[in-house]
Amino acid sequence: MSDQQMAFYIDLAACSGCKACQIACKDKNDLDVGNMWRRVVEYVGGDWTRSGDAWVSTVYAYSVTVSCLHCQDAPCAEACPSAAIVKRDDGVVLIEEDRCIGCRYCEWACPYGALQFDDATGKMTKCDFCADYLADGKEPACVASCPMRAMDYGPLDELRDRYGDLAAVAPLPDPSISRPAVVFGPHPDSRALGSTSGRIGNLEEV
Amino acid sequence: MGLHDWSLIIFTILGQMSVGVFLILGIVHTVAVRRHPVEEVERLTDRALFAIGPVLILGFIASLGHLGSPVNAYLSLLNVAESWLSREILFGTLFAAAGALFALMQWRKIGSFAVRRIVALVAATLGIAFVVAMALIYMLPLQPAWNLWVTPLTFIVTSLLTGALAIGVAFVASYAYERKREGADHAALASLLHDALRGLVTAAVILVGIQLVAVSLHVAVLSAGETTAAVDSAAALTGDYGVVFALRLTLAFVGAAIFGFLIYRSTIWATSQRTIGTLVGGAFGLVLVSEVLGRYLFYAASVPITI
Ligand code: SF4
Ligand code: SF4
Repeated sequence: MSDQQMAFYIDLAACSGCKACQIACKDKNDLDVGNMWRRVVEYVGGDWTRSGDAWVSTVYAYSVTVSCLHCQDAPCAEACPSAAIVKRDDGVVLIEEDRCIGCRYCEWACPYGALQFDDATGKMTKCDFCADYLADGKEPACVASCPMRAMDYGPLDELRDRYGDLAAVAPLPDPSISRPAVVFGPHPDSRALGSTSGRIGNLEEV
Repeated sequence: MGLHDWSLIIFTILGQMSVGVFLILGIVHTVAVRRHPVEEVERLTDRALFAIGPVLILGFIASLGHLGSPVNAYLSLLNVAESWLSREILFGTLFAAAGALFALMQWRKIGSFAVRRIVALVAATLGIAFVVAMALIYMLPLQPAWNLWVTPLTFIVTSLLTGALAIGVAFVASYAYERKREGADHAALASLLHDALRGLVTAAVILVGIQLVAVSLHVAVLSAGETTAAVDSAAALTGDYGVVFALRLTLAFVGAAIFGFLIYRSTIWATSQRTIGTLVGGAFGLVLVSEVLGRYLFYAASVPITI
């Protein structure tokens, strides 16, 4: 295991919002209905405005795929009373289910809605960065599944060298809260952090 | 609003009430022994003290209801270094232990008055730490409706308010019991009860005033908040949950202010015991329901900054 913080890269411009990553994740981890370790949020906005005799469209939409972002300051781990959430040397944040008491406190502390409670087992669950695949030198299931090749992964520093250091776009929360291990490639229409020009278009889906 | 949240509502209210009863009993005791004989005072206060234990235990049992894996509950102390939830359990347990020790000493009259007083002070401090830790659990940057001074303030006021009125009920019940006993002298006890009830309802009126101001300011602060989550939380309180919110405020006012006023004006000698009992019980009941609704809103109307 490396001791560099592992991270995801998401190319928002390339993402078509097809949700293959979400499905690949559900399949790999055998997740029940309602439990989604990776979710694709659609951010939509704009309008038709009249300019003289013409109607001009400012309508836009883009998708942001999110999972646990294996935050550098994982607030979930700090909150957990039974120390069941641990951050490995390679930055991957894991839930040790044996120790979880199912209090759901971590859920309140996570900015990304990454924690998903499993009613059947009474334990909290979330993305484990496909730790078993990483150990075998394979790509995480989501990264491998993306037909648009919009996802990448690797040490955070390397991703930043390659792709820049954009850590949030609307509608994500302020990255200073938890310092998520993620780099985004901007979409031509993506709105800056904190923008309220659009809204999440698929709320019932995520 | 599932069972999960109700268990938290019951746990936080009962936990806070236990601490409030303990703290206010201490104050009542300290003030009352200046003007009344210690034995008389303790004939009233001891029974109220012994009632705290079952209430607190009930609260802890209710708290297990919000755990997905309650058999693992003993692990909840593992992260005392970082987690306010661990610290809450730690202080709650220590408060229970110190309180139980004090109750035992008080029951068997073990140790001198001064020694018992020190044990009581330690328990009181742990109780305050318990309520403060409980509040700090909710002071999360992602929860703008909770991450305000209003949370610790209202938790403390809830403790004292429900505590003061619960003590009123316990005193009235204790007095009724003492009166039935043969040969006991109730004149002294009646005058003590009279003073105590007046003090308790005065405290309750002030506390309800603080609570109502804090709750209203909370809505104002949230609606002027920077995040949409804050504004949405305020809108939920006055919109979707507006009826519950209004009911909560009304019940608190009627319970503490109106019933409190009637209790203040009545005297143990001139008013029938049944009337006093109904008024004190009513004040406690109304305020308790109001606080439960308030806590329900606390959980239901908090919109987090998250996706
Ligand atoms: S995204 Fe949420 S669950 Fe994942 S490390 Fe950050 S705070 Fe924890
Ligand atoms: S639900 Fe489990 S992982 Fe989350 S804070 Fe509670 S014990 Fe920790």
